[in-house]
Amino acid sequence: MNPEQLKQYFYDLVHPDLPNEWEVEEVMEPLLDLDPAVRSAVLEQVQVIWPVSNSLCYSYLHQAIPALACIKAETLGRWASEALEIYERSGLKDAQQFMINVQSHFACRMDGQGQRFKEIAGRMEPYLRGLARRDLRLESSKTVFTDTRTVFLPEELSLFQGEGKNFLLYKLTTSFQWAFIALDTFLVTAEPNEINPSAKGKLWLHEYLAATEFPSLLATLYFLFETVRARGFLERELPGLMRDSSRLFASLDKKSPCKSGVERIVSQTRNLISGQLTEDESIEDEQIRTLLHSKAVALDSLRLAEQISHQADEGWESIVQEEPLFFQGRMELTRVEAARMVLRREQEAGFVEALATFFLSLPTAGNDTTDEEAETEDGAKGVSEADAALLFEEQSSEGKKEESSKSPDFTRLENELELSEELQELAEEIKNDLGQVPDQYISAAMGKAGQAQAGMGTPESDDGSGSSAPVTYDEWDYRRAGFRRNWCVVTEKQLEPIQSNFIRDTLEQYKGLRIRLRRQFEMMQTRERFVRRQRDGDEIDLDALVESLADTAAGFPPSDRLFIRLKRDERDIAVMFLVDMSNSTRGWVGTAIKQSLILLSEAMETLGDRYGIYGFSGMRRLRCELFPIKGLDEPYNDEVRTRISSIAPREYTRMAPALRHIISIMKKVDAGVRLIITLSDGKPEDYDNYNGEYAIEDTRHALIEARMAGIHPFCITIDQHAHEYMPRYGEVNYIFINDVAKLPARIPEIYRVLTS
Amino acid sequence: MNSIPLDEHLIRREPYYHASGEEIPLAVAAWKAGMPLLLKGPTGCGKTRFMQYLAWKLARPLITVSCHDDLSTSDLVGRYLIRAGEAVWSDGPLTMAVRAGAICYLDEVVEARKDTTVVIHPLADDRRELPIEKLGELLIAPDSFMLAVSYNPGYQSILKDLKPSTRQRFIGLSFDYPAPEQEAEIVVQEGGVAAEIAHTLVKLALMTRSLKDSGLVEGASTRLLIQAGKLMIAGISSRTACTVAITAPLTDDPELTGAIDEMIFSLF
Repeated sequence: MNPEQLKQYFYDLVHPDLPNEWEVEEVMEPLLDLDPAVRSAVLEQVQVIWPVSNSLCYSYLHQAIPALACIKAETLGRWASEALEIYERSGLKDAQQFMINVQSHFACRMDGQGQRFKEIAGRMEPYLRGLARRDLRLESSKTVFTDTRTVFLPEELSLFQGEGKNFLLYKLTTSFQWAFIALDTFLVTAEPNEINPSAKGKLWLHEYLAATEFPSLLATLYFLFETVRARGFLERELPGLMRDSSRLFASLDKKSPCKSGVERIVSQTRNLISGQLTEDESIEDEQIRTLLHSKAVALDSLRLAEQISHQADEGWESIVQEEPLFFQGRMELTRVEAARMVLRREQEAGFVEALATFFLSLPTAGNDTTDEEAETEDGAKGVSEADAALLFEEQSSEGKKEESSKSPDFTRLENELELSEELQELAEEIKNDLGQVPDQYISAAMGKAGQAQAGMGTPESDDGSGSSAPVTYDEWDYRRAGFRRNWCVVTEKQLEPIQSNFIRDTLEQYKGLRIRLRRQFEMMQTRERFVRRQRDGDEIDLDALVESLADTAAGFPPSDRLFIRLKRDERDIAVMFLVDMSNSTRGWVGTAIKQSLILLSEAMETLGDRYGIYGFSGMRRLRCELFPIKGLDEPYNDEVRTRISSIAPREYTRMAPALRHIISIMKKVDAGVRLIITLSDGKPEDYDNYNGEYAIEDTRHALIEARMAGIHPFCITIDQHAHEYMPRYGEVNYIFINDVAKLPARIPEIYRVLTS
Repeated sequence: MNSIPLDEHLIRREPYYHASGEEIPLAVAAWKAGMPLLLKGPTGCGKTRFMQYLAWKLARPLITVSCHDDLSTSDLVGRYLIRAGEAVWSDGPLTMAVRAGAICYLDEVVEARKDTTVVIHPLADDRRELPIEKLGELLIAPDSFMLAVSYNPGYQSILKDLKPSTRQRFIGLSFDYPAPEQEAEIVVQEGGVAAEIAHTLVKLALMTRSLKDSGLVEGASTRLLIQAGKLMIAGISSRTACTVAITAPLTDDPELTGAIDEMIFSLF
């Protein structure tokens, strides 16, 4: 291949884009010297990366040759696909960085070393939730720490040879971070009932540390001692983990040479944490060992840290600078503060919402009584703010109970209002945080309830201007064997109604077929029927009995199927028809599809199955459009009929995003059988290179996604070339109709066969 | 016809049951007053065991019917069978229980179709009678007869709820997993393991029960803990016992399986 050919080849790959010639020359030049097989392996990835980011593609081409020094040509695909993932998550810079550091970020892992966060998150997150028994999250980050709601772990671990140990280190780190949360390391206070973080959003610990002479030293020591406490805690709670981890501890932290003073204490403590200090080995300050016991609390660690920090001499800065133990991570108090404040706001919002709903659910105070109470006007339905506040007080303080329970107001509340479990839980959580449920929460809920009530019965302000908020969906790139994140934008749009005689004409034209279909569908609808000749049942089947007696008399073996049973078939089916509205349906194909839809809807009405109809079309990935023609639970009425007759050919066939949107709708539907039936006239096709292999693979993947969601996909097509690509959607999932004229009769029939 | 107690349904040895509240005196009182029982609670928390204990305490035979969606009225009341050219009536379990003054326990009653459950209505209110249309007979239940039904409100869909007209005939007893201390004691008693292991098993159960939001339909039941304990006693290592007796029955999801296994490896 000469330079010109190579350049042309590149232009073909990125068609229809026309990148700068000098840029292409620059990246293509080094490729000329490569072995042809390797070169084509390198260029293969261009189609994968280029559509997502041109700059990243250039970086890839720049880095590919140096990268080939440590990775094989076959793994280029995986390398590129990981780079794309990083690009989609954290942008171009990080992805370029990843490509530059191919040796440490990628190659070593390919040798079977190292473990990635992505690979362990699926398993570790439920593990963490199980440990904590609440909804904690796991995220990747550069350093190890926790903000008490999320545990942050490094993107990748390759400290050890072999996967097992690195996985174990992830697990150990997760468990230690949980221990800090469970032991309230960051939420320590001097007084038990202090509001922490304060109203200003500062943690008590943070403020306390800031007020001391050497905050960073004290913080380091405190966190180190807390890690001792965490170790003791984990030994009690998770003995199996600590036993397994002993082989990690040894290699994690090397014993440092004996020093003196505080430094010595620190290195001894670190050895104690990593289990390298045996029971009988002495430690400078034996109080440290007591932190391992279950009775130790965070305040003990703090007092001890203070005591020891006073002994600090010149060398204390080195203590602060020393890297923390890996699983210990860092103490990020500002992050904890932010997370606690978010939690507090969420609790408030959740509580206000729940309480407002609760107020609204109360029986309205009698309308006929001329009630002067202001609260009724607030919409709180006869519950005064004081009453409500009392309700929560009662549940919090049993000590003060006797006074409040004497109040007549309360007795009434106690009798009439019982808080839901959810509300009680929320109130309990808020009390744990703030000591009590603040009055403003309750008044906010009353206000909200009032507004909601005022708003009830007023017509929707939304005039239904035609389109819903756009939703983004991923698109499958088979070359990358991964998704292009948030690639397609799907909007639901209303069809412009067109008045025509189409419906009347169709019904007239297919009068006979309509009656036949109706009869067929009515037969399917039969929910109860008697089945004869059963082994057991409610009634004796006299015919069978007579026959069996006659057989016996004649010396034949009699049948034991002598009963009649009432059989009930419950049809619990929800089906969504997805109709191609691409330009190619123009003419008689489109007409036939519309006619089929009308006949089908007419027949479906006798059946009672839930069904919906959506049309799809669009142009380019950012404008995929779906047209609701009939919602799943919308009645089949004139409006729907008008919409069916308004179906008109529009733009291109990008079926997968439409499928994904319908899948997301169908996922929420509760039905025994969920079906998606697509009606199309040709291959999926769109601008931005959405054609051929790529489009078919993307559609195929969307169909697989439907299956994974427990929805049965089925494709009906009238494309002459369907046999070339349809089988790849799965043999049983499609049917090809060669005669368009038969479509109106065939589609209801197909549905009947599919669902009976 | 036959009023002989159904011997094979009599429970002779006291079943182990650890009361978690007042359910025993309540159930006895309901029996005396001729009121039926509705037991609700998650699977494996001791509903069936409670019924066995109650039957033993009252010295009545216990007839259990596991309900399913093909269960018909005839399956409960009885039907004619053809034997040697003759139609012979055969009592269903419910009729048997009424005749013998036994306890009839319909397990997972919501699994049965609603029209089937209607047959128990006249039995479950103060009439306490069972009409058998095909025989033209009206059975009046003796005082010692008791009807009990159970269901698990946790995982059934709204479609499978009891009709209000059915529900409102029963005394409702709610069951839940016992408190950790009690549950450990039950595991010790039933599984035969040491107290320390039982406590760890309970800890594991609590962890799995908090995975509801992560996609686990139901956490490990007391029954699973007992089974794991029994395997340990039989000489299986604790990690293996838990994996096969707890993880595997709970889920097929690879990630949840992994997570629960990691919990087991951490605890044992």
